[in-house]
Amino acid sequence: MGFLKILRKQRAREREMRILILGLDNAGKTTLMKKFLDEPTDTIEPTLGFDIKTVHFKDFQLNLWDVGGQKSLRSYWKNYFESTDALIWVVDSSDRERLLQCSEELKKLLGEERLAGASLLVLANKSDLPGAIDVNSIAQVLDLHSIKSHHWKIFSCCALSGDRLVQAMTWLCDDVGSRLFILD
Amino acid sequence: MKAEQQQQSIAPGSATFPSQMPRPPPVTEQAITTEAELLAKNQITPNDVLALPGITQGFLCSPSANVYNIEFTKFQIRDLDTEHVLFEIAKPENETEENLQAQAESARYVRYRFAPNFLKLKTVGATVEFKVGDVPITHFRMIERHFFKDRLLKCFDFEFGFCMPNSRNNCEHIYEFPQLSQQLMDDMINNPNETRSDSFYFVENKLVMHNKADYSYDA
Repeated sequence: MGFLKILRKQRAREREMRILILGLDNAGKTTLMKKFLDEPTDTIEPTLGFDIKTVHFKDFQLNLWDVGGQKSLRSYWKNYFESTDALIWVVDSSDRERLLQCSEELKKLLGEERLAGASLLVLANKSDLPGAIDVNSIAQVLDLHSIKSHHWKIFSCCALSGDRLVQAMTWLCDDVGSRLFILD
Repeated sequence: MKAEQQQQSIAPGSATFPSQMPRPPPVTEQAITTEAELLAKNQITPNDVLALPGITQGFLCSPSANVYNIEFTKFQIRDLDTEHVLFEIAKPENETEENLQAQAESARYVRYRFAPNFLKLKTVGATVEFKVGDVPITHFRMIERHFFKDRLLKCFDFEFGFCMPNSRNNCEHIYEFPQLSQQLMDDMINNPNETRSDSFYFVENKLVMHNKADYSYDA
């Protein structure tokens, strides 16, 4: 009886995921997180630190870490890499000027040893805006098809409407889940 | 009938800040000795507070120990099943230096008041927002212990980890409330302010802040 209780408690802890949400400033990281959590998105200010939320989704407890993306904060990103199960990389599809910079920052992240093995979900946000780059072109600029070290998938989405967000998060949970919780 | 009762909304809670800290009744003589030993230590660690037998009689550090200028700016409790906000308090912006100092002292003790239904909650989201001063914090950890009289109800332990300098941070974590027996709930309702908590904050395993609260469930 005691053993079963311990085992259940252990398993409960193992069904926890740490998800890091990164991207350049103004990509829509916080809006996406709030939309996914069904929280109001009318007043979103730049994240000047971190925003941690915990939510139950698909039998998992997701610990979502949304970290500020402005240039002066990017050197601190490395302090959040430990024990990360998944990385959500948020791209502003309408920001043509900075798409190359977006690609460079992602490349740096994928080279980080402490993020090795983390699943990568790329969210091409603001895809509803006129002039937004289509998802296949973004995948090309980010050179996603060259990635061998991480499971990855890209979804176009719109944070404000929540379009395709649940679908994207479902893929992410399935990918992490199948890697970490094989015994289930 | 049962579903109808479950749908019943819980009245929002309230908070006051006593100007004088109400002293809890001493738990044991051993506890007083332990506390005195801790106060004599050069630094207090998470293991020290986890080993405490009960609620502390006083604060284990002074406000000046907060050399990182950690400042809590908002606190919110919501029922995750209904998503109702049960309690919310925010620190006003643009305070004068003098007011801030006085606030830092009184804000260390909070007196909460909730409806009896609060004790039947299963999962609660507690959001805390805080600012950090000029120095980065490599490891920030919170330990919060809740007691009814001398009985430990629950201990929450959360690692914030790294905090950037000059940042504003937000964290909502889920508290799974312990299932309380009806008798214990009745006792808690009938003994206002005998439910208490200690909130300890550590930077690199050294105590830098200590806040206290007590609770009544008769609103």
